[in-house]
Amino acid sequence: MPLPELESAVDHPITNITTDPFFRLYFAQHIRAFTGGDNWRTTITSVKVTNARDAAVGKYQQVELTFKLTPVNAADLRKFTFAYDVILHQVVTHEALVLLQQDWYNGINEESAARVIGTIKLDVPSGKIYPLDISLEKGSAWKGFVSMLKLGMQHIKEGTDHLLFLIVLLLPAMLIAKNKNWGSFGGLKYSLTNLIKIITAFTIGHSITLLLCASGWLTVPSQPIEVLIACSILVSAAHAVRPLFPGREVYIAGGFGLIHGMAFASVLAGLDLNVSTLALSILGFNLGIELMQLFIILIIAPWLILLSKTRVYQWFRVPAAILAGVAALGWIVERVNGKSNAITLALNNITPYAPRLIILLAIAACLFSIKLNSRQPVDSHK
Amino acid sequence: MALSVTARLSPAANNILFLSFASILATGFFMLPGKPDNTYQSAAPVAVIAPDCAKAKGIAKVVCLSDNFKAMLNAEQLAKLQLPYSKADAQKWSNLPATFPTAKRIGIKFGDLTPEQLQAAMALLKEVSGTAANEGYDEMQQLRNADDYLAIKKSSDYGSGHFYMALLGTPSASGTFEIQYGGHHTAFANTYKDGLLIGATPSFRGAEPFGKFEQNGRSNEPMVQEHAAFAAILASLTPEQQQAARLTNTFRDVVLGPNKDGQFPATPLGIKCGTLSAAQKKLVIAAINTYTDDIVEKDAAVYLKKYTKELDNTYLSFTGTTDFVTRNDYMRLDGPSLWLEYVSQNGVVYAGIHPHSVWRDKTTDYGGN
Repeated sequence: MPLPELESAVDHPITNITTDPFFRLYFAQHIRAFTGGDNWRTTITSVKVTNARDAAVGKYQQVELTFKLTPVNAADLRKFTFAYDVILHQVVTHEALVLLQQDWYNGINEESAARVIGTIKLDVPSGKIYPLDISLEKGSAWKGFVSMLKLGMQHIKEGTDHLLFLIVLLLPAMLIAKNKNWGSFGGLKYSLTNLIKIITAFTIGHSITLLLCASGWLTVPSQPIEVLIACSILVSAAHAVRPLFPGREVYIAGGFGLIHGMAFASVLAGLDLNVSTLALSILGFNLGIELMQLFIILIIAPWLILLSKTRVYQWFRVPAAILAGVAALGWIVERVNGKSNAITLALNNITPYAPRLIILLAIAACLFSIKLNSRQPVDSHK
Repeated sequence: MALSVTARLSPAANNILFLSFASILATGFFMLPGKPDNTYQSAAPVAVIAPDCAKAKGIAKVVCLSDNFKAMLNAEQLAKLQLPYSKADAQKWSNLPATFPTAKRIGIKFGDLTPEQLQAAMALLKEVSGTAANEGYDEMQQLRNADDYLAIKKSSDYGSGHFYMALLGTPSASGTFEIQYGGHHTAFANTYKDGLLIGATPSFRGAEPFGKFEQNGRSNEPMVQEHAAFAAILASLTPEQQQAARLTNTFRDVVLGPNKDGQFPATPLGIKCGTLSAAQKKLVIAAINTYTDDIVEKDAAVYLKKYTKELDNTYLSFTGTTDFVTRNDYMRLDGPSLWLEYVSQNGVVYAGIHPHSVWRDKTTDYGGN
């Protein structure tokens, strides 16, 4: 709530709102919930003043209040009356917007948009402030699971950095390294085996840390993880230009997979899931990640394989790896200093065109393999 | 032959050719042309009446000026300006800057108009507005200037380029149409039926900066007349009258702003104007006049007559201080038809206060539709 609104509502100086017992009492008096005649218990968890910013308005101060309402009977959690008139009891032009931000069993979490339940405000015709009757659908474990699956898919779809790491690592996977350089196509069986090994290693890696972090057995700070993820792209990009660790891609994929998994877990951590739904959440989320990852690889890998059989491939692989390296540098800088830069801004603009770029890649792969195959047979390397 | 040229190129050159072609193609995808957007004007636009409309009078002139403005627009612009009449669209007004996500406006954006189109739009607005100084069209201009002032001093989220106009229903001497115009601190809604003005509300006016300021080549002081008129009523009240008129709640904005249609209180609050002295009643009428003067004289007279007739049954209420320049000072006139609210809100961009005000009519908001 905006600080000036609260100032207008109470006849009490707002100097130390966090500890002033006046405000604890004030909020407790004006925030109530009940089911029938049963009054819930109101607990004020925290009160603090924070700075907010709006382009048109500029800086302003707001009061952030967290509180907990506990029913007498746990069965009443989905059906109760919310009687809230903080500020409103005096400042009748104030409005309180009530949002449902998380309801696991109905597939509502922070990532998907919160649902507006209602507004508590002055009813002008009657001059009264009516409490809000809240009645939530029961939901189901299946609904919750599906929403976590979708969340996992969404996260990969939007997580350009995770995909880029994997795709760039796959760039040289069909080639044979010789004399510290990438040589030519290693054959279809060789390519497929390599691809599958790398993908599996990445999956195992990120699944382990996702489980460890999401279940709370392991806690890691998020900023260094994000920086490391950007570094992982830089490493795989360098490797795609010149073989740095030929034959050991599996360990790199698995190792960096561990790092990426920690970032996946932070998404779940932000949802504040409770113990009863955690296992299903991790399972659904991870499955979603795998599905989307597999889908993206299936639409890209065939063209990489096709193109890697031609001599043109180096003209694709090297610039693509360099671009990925530049992107990684942009991300590293952004994640260290917390400010977006020219590279990351450009990346945001390019990302929506990824599907078109894949189509271009497919067309190029087909054209070149037809053209070069008709001119001369591809040398088979023994 | 093109083919033989390609064939003779070395494979490397060929690949470079392909790559550069692909990258040019790819770049093309990202380079979508942007639209010009003039946030504010450095000089107030002049209302230019089309020669063909100069001799027309009354509704014929309104229709002529609308048609003239429409004729100057391309198909895409016209589709934005001219909409079928619907109450749902008529209700889409706001007092907030257009860049606020909750400010849903329809119609054509003034920032997308050419100077000539803008002059034609202003001519139409002038024709349907009052002519008194600092009221009607002059007030509209000053409120546009106020937003240009904020655009320059504060943020491109403000500015007269962020104002909108829509024609709901085709302007004509028969049938229903509304001329809807608005932007930050302005909402104008004239509804016509069969050539007559049947609704001049909801009408919102507010002003920031509040007080004298220079912008667009002139001195501006919008809303000071409204403020002075309400302050004069308050100053005239005896302590007993004050007590009867005083509300206990706090108002930081008007109660019946945008999206609050038809929600008038069942029981009016405050003191009945019938109990006021003749001199005090005059002051109330003078305050109402600062709103009715926003529309053309002939129509203003009709509204003022109605409100004067209903004055004895109109309630006056206020809250806050009696100096009427402190934040949250609020006054309301609630009559059988009239609804008028004025509040001294906290300054948003500048320290101090700035007024918000709304004029509604319980029977003719949106022309009674």
